Amino acid sequence: MASNYPPPFDDPVEVREGFLCPLCLKDLQSFYQLQSHYEEEHSSEDRDVKGQLRNLVQKAKKAKKKLLKREGDDRTDTGAQERYESFSYGGVDPYMWEPQELGAMRSHLSDFKKHRAARIDHYVVEVNKLIIRLEKLTSFDRTNTESAKIRAIEKSVVPWVNDQDVPFCPDCGNNLPLASKLTSASKEALTSHTSPGSSPNSIHGSRRGSISSVSSVSSVLDEKDDDRIRCCRHCKDTLLKREQQIDESEYTPDIVKLYEKLRLCMEKVDQKAPEYIKMAESLNAGETTYNLEHANDLRVEVQKVYELIDALSKKILTLGLNEEPQPHPKTLQLQRMIRYSATLFVQEKLLGLMSLPTKDKYEELKEKRKQEIDRKLHMERQATLETQRRQEEKQKDLVSRSTAAPNGEVPYPKRVSVKKSEGWLPTSSLPRQREIADPLLQQIDNITSFIKQAKAANRLDEVRMLQENLRQLQDEYDQQQTLKAIELSKRQAEEEEMQREQLQVLREKEWEREQHKAVSQHSRTRSLDFREVKQHQHESGKENLNQIAQSLDLDTTQIKSSPSSKTPSPDAVQKQVTKENSVFPIKPREAPQYIRETDQNQTMLLNPFEDEADTSPVEDDPANTLAGDSSQVDSLPAKARHSDKKEYNPFEDDEEDQQTNGATVGAPNPFEDNGNSFQKSVNDQNSGNQSEGLSSTNPFEVDDNEISGEDVIEEELLLQQIDNIKAYIFDAKHSGRMDEVEVLTENLKELKRTLAKQKEKSKC
Amino acid sequence: MNVVFAVKQYVSKMIEDSGPGMKVLLMDKETTSIVSMVYTQSEILQKEVYLFERLDSLNRETMKHLKAICFLRPTKENVEYLIQELRRPKYSIYYIYFSNVISKSDVKSLAEADEQEVVAEVQEFYGDYIAVNPHVFSLNLLGCCQGRSWDLAQLSRTAQGLTALLLSLKKCPMIRYQLSSEPAKRLAECVKQVITKEYELFDFRRTEVPPLLLILDRSDDAITPLLNQWTYQAMVHELLGINNNRIDLSRVPGISKDLREVVLSAENDEFYANNMYLNFAEIGSNIKNLMEDFQRRKPKEQQKLESIADMKAFVENYPQFKKMSGTVSKHVTVVGELSRLASERNLLEVSEVEQELACQNDHSSAHQNVRRLLQNPKVTEFDATRLVMLYALHYERHSSNSLPGLMMDLKNKGVSEKYRKLVSAVVEYGGKRVRGSDLFSPKDAVAITKQFLKGLKGVENVYTQHQPFLHETLDQLIKGKLKDGQYPYLGPSTLRDRPQDIIVFIIGGATYEEALTVYNLNRTTPGVRIVLGGTTIHNTKSFLEEISASGFRGRGAESAHVTARASSRR
Repeated sequence: MASNYPPPFDDPVEVREGFLCPLCLKDLQSFYQLQSHYEEEHSSEDRDVKGQLRNLVQKAKKAKKKLLKREGDDRTDTGAQERYESFSYGGVDPYMWEPQELGAMRSHLSDFKKHRAARIDHYVVEVNKLIIRLEKLTSFDRTNTESAKIRAIEKSVVPWVNDQDVPFCPDCGNNLPLASKLTSASKEALTSHTSPGSSPNSIHGSRRGSISSVSSVSSVLDEKDDDRIRCCRHCKDTLLKREQQIDESEYTPDIVKLYEKLRLCMEKVDQKAPEYIKMAESLNAGETTYNLEHANDLRVEVQKVYELIDALSKKILTLGLNEEPQPHPKTLQLQRMIRYSATLFVQEKLLGLMSLPTKDKYEELKEKRKQEIDRKLHMERQATLETQRRQEEKQKDLVSRSTAAPNGEVPYPKRVSVKKSEGWLPTSSLPRQREIADPLLQQIDNITSFIKQAKAANRLDEVRMLQENLRQLQDEYDQQQTLKAIELSKRQAEEEEMQREQLQVLREKEWEREQHKAVSQHSRTRSLDFREVKQHQHESGKENLNQIAQSLDLDTTQIKSSPSSKTPSPDAVQKQVTKENSVFPIKPREAPQYIRETDQNQTMLLNPFEDEADTSPVEDDPANTLAGDSSQVDSLPAKARHSDKKEYNPFEDDEEDQQTNGATVGAPNPFEDNGNSFQKSVNDQNSGNQSEGLSSTNPFEVDDNEISGEDVIEEELLLQQIDNIKAYIFDAKHSGRMDEVEVLTENLKELKRTLAKQKEKSKC
Repeated sequence: MNVVFAVKQYVSKMIEDSGPGMKVLLMDKETTSIVSMVYTQSEILQKEVYLFERLDSLNRETMKHLKAICFLRPTKENVEYLIQELRRPKYSIYYIYFSNVISKSDVKSLAEADEQEVVAEVQEFYGDYIAVNPHVFSLNLLGCCQGRSWDLAQLSRTAQGLTALLLSLKKCPMIRYQLSSEPAKRLAECVKQVITKEYELFDFRRTEVPPLLLILDRSDDAITPLLNQWTYQAMVHELLGINNNRIDLSRVPGISKDLREVVLSAENDEFYANNMYLNFAEIGSNIKNLMEDFQRRKPKEQQKLESIADMKAFVENYPQFKKMSGTVSKHVTVVGELSRLASERNLLEVSEVEQELACQNDHSSAHQNVRRLLQNPKVTEFDATRLVMLYALHYERHSSNSLPGLMMDLKNKGVSEKYRKLVSAVVEYGGKRVRGSDLFSPKDAVAITKQFLKGLKGVENVYTQHQPFLHETLDQLIKGKLKDGQYPYLGPSTLRDRPQDIIVFIIGGATYEEALTVYNLNRTTPGVRIVLGGTTIHNTKSFLEEISASGFRGRGAESAHVTARASSRR
């Protein structure tokens, strides 16, 4: 991480910069302290934050990568980032292309429904009419009525139609000459007279008069010929279809009932297993957060569910196998596939169930952990002592040195400390406090501490809820920051422009107003960094009091308007980002590989869509012999860790993952990138200022030389600004805020123009 | 721009939209291929899709407890099948997705067939192409042209595939095409027509630099598909053939039953993903490492599972081991077979001469080497023919062209008439007369210097010195130097900036060597993303089939003899 920054000075004590907590940036003096601090403070409760940070880093990297690719030759940079980039030659492996949004689609549903509705109305009317008619025809007591009377009643319900009224065959629509009424339907129409299935004034003219078959629709009516109702084929079909539909809607096959149970069990596992794994991990580490017995109960519960899944899927597999005739091959295939997917599920999840320590072992673990903590505490204390001692020595050293130093350098050590806390190496909680000035951050902090408390109280539900809450807040914060960053960058650009103009004017007037040079110099500097002002404050003494007051005034206004004064939060975050950066070096291929790996886990059956879903290899698997084989199950702790990881990327969530990935990439958050370059700019300013401070200890000694140095800084700032703007453009483009892109592009052009001007000027 | 991801997203969306419950996926022949390229069965099982059925299958049972997701091409037959299906529905609810634009009248007839109101969704999801790799797609069409013009059915399928690709990636491109190719122009116009007609669909967010579609013709570079390959993916396709990610190993001597057909998919096979673009030597050492790793994990037979610790170790390693054993045996078999074929067919030597024919301009040495290899009994008639083809293409107009002599040598070697005819067919297909650009002699000074230096220093790897012509084309396109004269824009507007998102499509098929080239261009060119597509992905065998299917049958040995002599006299 140190390589990202130019070492500010050659002070051996400052080697300790390395031991910063990547999350809260606390300076922890030694490795052990850092480690224990990290484990205690951030072990699990900040997972969301950490994840976010990692995301930030990734996004920043991606954005940066893109940028560098596009404008790689614009500027050469140094540092780890650059070296990393060079491995990928500047282009992007197609496997690493940002996941794009879902492709185009077009729905025809409304059109479809419109056409269907027209047809359905037809159909429903017809069916209803038939049902009403059927009702009438079956409402009287048929068995005790004479057949002639029945006919009469029937006729009264549905008047029969004469053949003459049926000139067309209802099925083929052919014209039937009276003489040759021997074809199909018409012949039947002759023999059975007329149709009860339709009335003369029926809307369905084409069906009029046809009696194609004489059969029953309902079982009540099929004993004697007389008991039957005559019905045309069309009506019969309609009625039978309807009957079938009713039957189907009422009937639930066994497989569905079992399957529903199976799914319920799977859901339960998805819900309970992570909880258990969390417990088991904690217990195995000797922590006392959870109760061992409680965890054991949960374990038994989860295991029971697994057994149930196994049993249910087996039952589905064998459904109907002993029946004659055998079920349809497709039914059997369905059953096999369900069983197969259930075994895959169990295989994947069960292996994640790590074992719990026995009671004795747990005591042992607890003891061990305690010792460990004690040891760490001890080390920490020692380290602190050591540091103190060294610092004292150093101080002495410095004091002796500083006394030997020339006049102007006396305040040097002090200045360093100022920089350290404010710039980029906070030892105090100052940046933290500033962060909290933001109400959102305050809320985030609160929630985080609530989560901690809830966890301590073992209230998992609450924890989950709070974490969700936290995520939302963080999203919100991100967004806010993005907006701010965009606005700020705009303002910064404007301001810089203004400053440049000012400087220009000042320079022109410089020759005339030699004696005011220092003053003008000041107004220039302080707008950049008020720490510098403080330096001057130290150095310039009381003569300058007026000026200082003025500049301080300016500072406060800047806190609202200029990015440099807003520093603390983005700055701090950035630091976290860069720290993270080095703590978790990002391997570009890692993520996709992992996904592939999990995929493959489940790809024992290699041929996609091959019909033979043979379950036997799965069943052979010893890990799968669930029933009561808890000894085996008991012995899987390492594996569990593995699948614990998986939990955040289980297969079913693949989709979601990808989506979140996409969201991450596409999320409008140029903020961190801004922070990145901004951080640099602050650094540069620092180092610039510092060199200034070193080269001329007295601001009143400023000469022409200094001004050209000033010029250089200006250019660097410009370059950084250009980079920033490019990052914004990239991001805005990515998330489709085209209007923003326009504004930004304009901005960029402006900046480039001034840069060119600047360069020309510096040449002459 | 990731085409695999684009199709996968469509499929996931379909499955998601249908909600929980047991599902069946109803597809046609083509959509089955499309889906199987992006999803494995076990992956899709996890989403409660338990059955995969062909819509035209007669063997389907009525299962009202299943939901049906229909993913179909919008063909006449499919619509007809679907109407039948809806009249007597076999499943409870139907979610219908067409892979391309469907006509309003078809929607209407489907709606009228749905009397039982079983249809819950009707959508167009444009997954109408085979996604081979993130940057490679194919349409699996062989023989797309008749002579020098399109087979009309294939043209419409190709235009559909290409427009679907654009829609799935949400790109509305400017179009450039190879002027020397009539089919390229036709296809460009067809695509443009669709874009104009469906302007509402193509109304995407504008990007600063619009995407670019470049349409090329295979006949401009007939060399690339004739070369033996040495990178894993390309080599497997050349020697064993890849068909929708599957490799048929049934002809491998002594193959075990479960390895008769294997799947090589970079999406699910880590080893393959990491090695598909490496050359054969590198793969060899990687396979060795894989084996060693595997051996280490392999549970020893005498190992007794006595203590709990033993069992624990075993069970922990078991799934890993099983997974590995699948990968290991697959790749060991494939690589083993490749190396067997390479030595049996003397491919190293053959390939060296092929590369010389493709990349260098020393006629006498080339001629000598080809003659020498034709005498070698280990060289198969297939490889012998391709050497002569390469020679014929390169030295077609050379003053001391001695093709007739080589044709005699082929005949003496006992190479069948069928193959010998193909030599002239290839020249007819992709000879100098046809080519719009110069395949062999570099034009600009830089390239000449480069080749000169190459000659001086020798080449790094003689077997992989060839760069497909596509590389130069794309390189110039990216640099904004591709000549408008040779590759004009369709329509009045042109691209002022350097292109960023490029889709290049080769009529007559792309190759895996070109896929590798595009992969490398993507990795080395900042700010540029390139997707490569073809009517199919060729190896030499399928390329020759394509030529035959397109009606280039060659003039037979004798006539070739005469014309060749005639040209040599000139």
